[in-house]
Amino acid sequence: MSNQALPNALPQDIALLIYTTMVRIHACDQRIQQLLAAGALQFQYYPCGGQEAIPASIAPHLHKEDQVVTTYRGVHDIVAKGTPMVEIIAEMMGKITGTSKGKGGAMHLSDPDAGLMVTTGIVGAGMPIANGLALAAKLKGTGRVVVVNFGDGASNIGAFNESVNMAALWDLPIVFLCQNNAYAEYTSFEGSTKSANIADRAAGYGMAGETVDGTDPDAMHAAAGRAITRARNGEGPTLLECMALRLQGHSFGSEEGHMDQEKLAAARANPPIAKFRASLIERGNATAEDLDTIDADAKQEVEDAVEKSMAADMPNESELYTDIFADASAVPYSSPTTTAAEPDLSDREVVTVPMVVAITEALDIALGEDPDVFLIGEDIADPAGGVAKATAGLSTKHGVDRVRPSPISEQAIIGAAIGASLNGMKPVAEIMINDFSMVCMDQIANHAAKLRYMSGGRTSVPIVIRTVTAGNVGNFAAQHSQSLEAWFTHIPGIKVVAPSTAADAKGLLLAAIADPDPVLVLEPMRCYFVPDEVPVGRYEIPLGKAAVRREGTDVTLISYGWCSVEANAAADALAEVGVSAEVIDLRSLVPLDLDTCVTSVKKTGRCVIAHAAVEFSGFGAELAAKLSEELYGQLKAPIKRVGARYTPVPFTPSLESMHFPNAARIKDTAESLMK
Amino acid sequence: MAKITLKVPKGAVSMQEGKLVEWFVNDGDPVSLGQAIYAIETEKTTMEIECPFEGTFKRLGEVGETYKVGYPIAEIEQ
Repeated sequence: MSNQALPNALPQDIALLIYTTMVRIHACDQRIQQLLAAGALQFQYYPCGGQEAIPASIAPHLHKEDQVVTTYRGVHDIVAKGTPMVEIIAEMMGKITGTSKGKGGAMHLSDPDAGLMVTTGIVGAGMPIANGLALAAKLKGTGRVVVVNFGDGASNIGAFNESVNMAALWDLPIVFLCQNNAYAEYTSFEGSTKSANIADRAAGYGMAGETVDGTDPDAMHAAAGRAITRARNGEGPTLLECMALRLQGHSFGSEEGHMDQEKLAAARANPPIAKFRASLIERGNATAEDLDTIDADAKQEVEDAVEKSMAADMPNESELYTDIFADASAVPYSSPTTTAAEPDLSDREVVTVPMVVAITEALDIALGEDPDVFLIGEDIADPAGGVAKATAGLSTKHGVDRVRPSPISEQAIIGAAIGASLNGMKPVAEIMINDFSMVCMDQIANHAAKLRYMSGGRTSVPIVIRTVTAGNVGNFAAQHSQSLEAWFTHIPGIKVVAPSTAADAKGLLLAAIADPDPVLVLEPMRCYFVPDEVPVGRYEIPLGKAAVRREGTDVTLISYGWCSVEANAAADALAEVGVSAEVIDLRSLVPLDLDTCVTSVKKTGRCVIAHAAVEFSGFGAELAAKLSEELYGQLKAPIKRVGARYTPVPFTPSLESMHFPNAARIKDTAESLMK
Repeated sequence: MAKITLKVPKGAVSMQEGKLVEWFVNDGDPVSLGQAIYAIETEKTTMEIECPFEGTFKRLGEVGETYKVGYPIAEIEQ
């Protein structure tokens, strides 16, 4: 058969390129499994056998600058995108010479030099981030295209819906590449959905969709070409579903009882590589000897990579705390800690405005001075200007591209921010209310916080997430009033700030936007509309620097966020009964200014930690424990906490007032320590 | 000369331990890639383990003993 006999036949050079990539993938995948089988390596591995032709056929369409996001079953995508074999193998072995210095491992390779931006271990989570990569490409006009790989199983997860909808709405230059291998882990395609296929869903989102045989390089290359051309020409995303039966169980060594044994045996008897090899010979594109040489070279490449990687070192202790943040001194309790000095604002003009206006001004300054800054969130554009008007006027001034109203899709919002930040932008995402951040915790906790570490410092996520804590403003009830800071401080890799004054809200926000790490800014609605003094112009309040609001000698009151207002009032009341309270407003929880706390409590010998969050397992528990350790034997009384009661936030005022801490409770607790 | 330790592999997700049932190579034998080196019995099956590297083989385990996954059962010196 000649090339002419196959209407879609690939040109010879492309065909051989695809074959070469397929056998390189196969050699890598097989060698890893051989090492695992012999006990020379031990980790969870998700083989790609059967799916080699998919990325191999896409690769010839992609430039080096184009970007790929993949999943834990992704070694084929990684090899095809051009990550050096030696770095792949070394990362799987946990070696310092790996793509991510061994810190990411087999499920989390990233190689931004090759355009491999994220490998996620969370099903479906790559899609929101890939949108962000594509959004940055569109905003910056780079012409770059993004391909995000995921399985048929991931098509049934919420992030899929949010992501394809957003990509279609915004005509993002992205290909949603569904590798349908017929099984979602241990469950069949038919057991997971009533959809006949995944690509048909595209029509519902108003985007292009196509199903293609992912084991046939001729068809696969042609379909990928259509999708990538569409993306490159600004014609929006494509949902491209590539059918390729998984040729083994879910993970290395896992059972295959859930798989159709007849189909499996048939596919194994004639796998895609063997089929393509025979076809190439039949077409006269290569002789068996030519292909033998390609096979041998691939094996040798892998063998060289294995040999070099075996000889390489694992990272030593010095790597443990690096790549969590840009600067290791931001790690809680690190020593020494360094914080920037408080700015001298004494000669600044001061205006009296509410916190919300100070926040708007900070955002306006940031948008005005840095073209890489953009805002994304629900209802943030005019005329709404945000539900609390924090972004009022900004879309009119800076345009809706940069003050970008989004669908109600929190995972897609945070993912878009993450992805855009990976491409050098400085997104400020708004999650309307702190409680809603729980629906996008995967993006925040598993991705924003961890990508720097998982990539061995090769990628970073300089995003800001602004969110309102709406407690104690009356009747917002159980799902709109929570203070969830402890959820975030528990996750290494994300900074958390909680201002209580308008001046701090402005200065901390500008510092957060300039910061190289992800920062969560908790804005207290209780303080949003109260007039306050704010210095004009640009200034930054350094992250990790507490403010001593008043000096005292008998007891230290430590607080943050709107509870600081109660702590100040408690100090006034304590003064009336002859107790001198020192009041510390932490302002920033991560990084944490422990020194200021220790110095104060050492002086007073007594401490009350107050916060709006539920007291049980709250941030105060951590701080109380640490201060007790630091000051053992020097305290005059036990450290006390005053937090919210262990109840969902009640709606009715009679109960809500009992739930939240207040000045009276803080004062009574402090007074009890004086006896 | 690099020494590579071969551990009892996790041949199945649920596998915790295995019994060494037979050596196919002797101490000091040269071994090659893909050669069967020993057999190990688990709850479900008996697996023949293929050699992952070329080199000189050294036995560490004893036939008839049961070892946990991760136990160093052999070495290959290169």
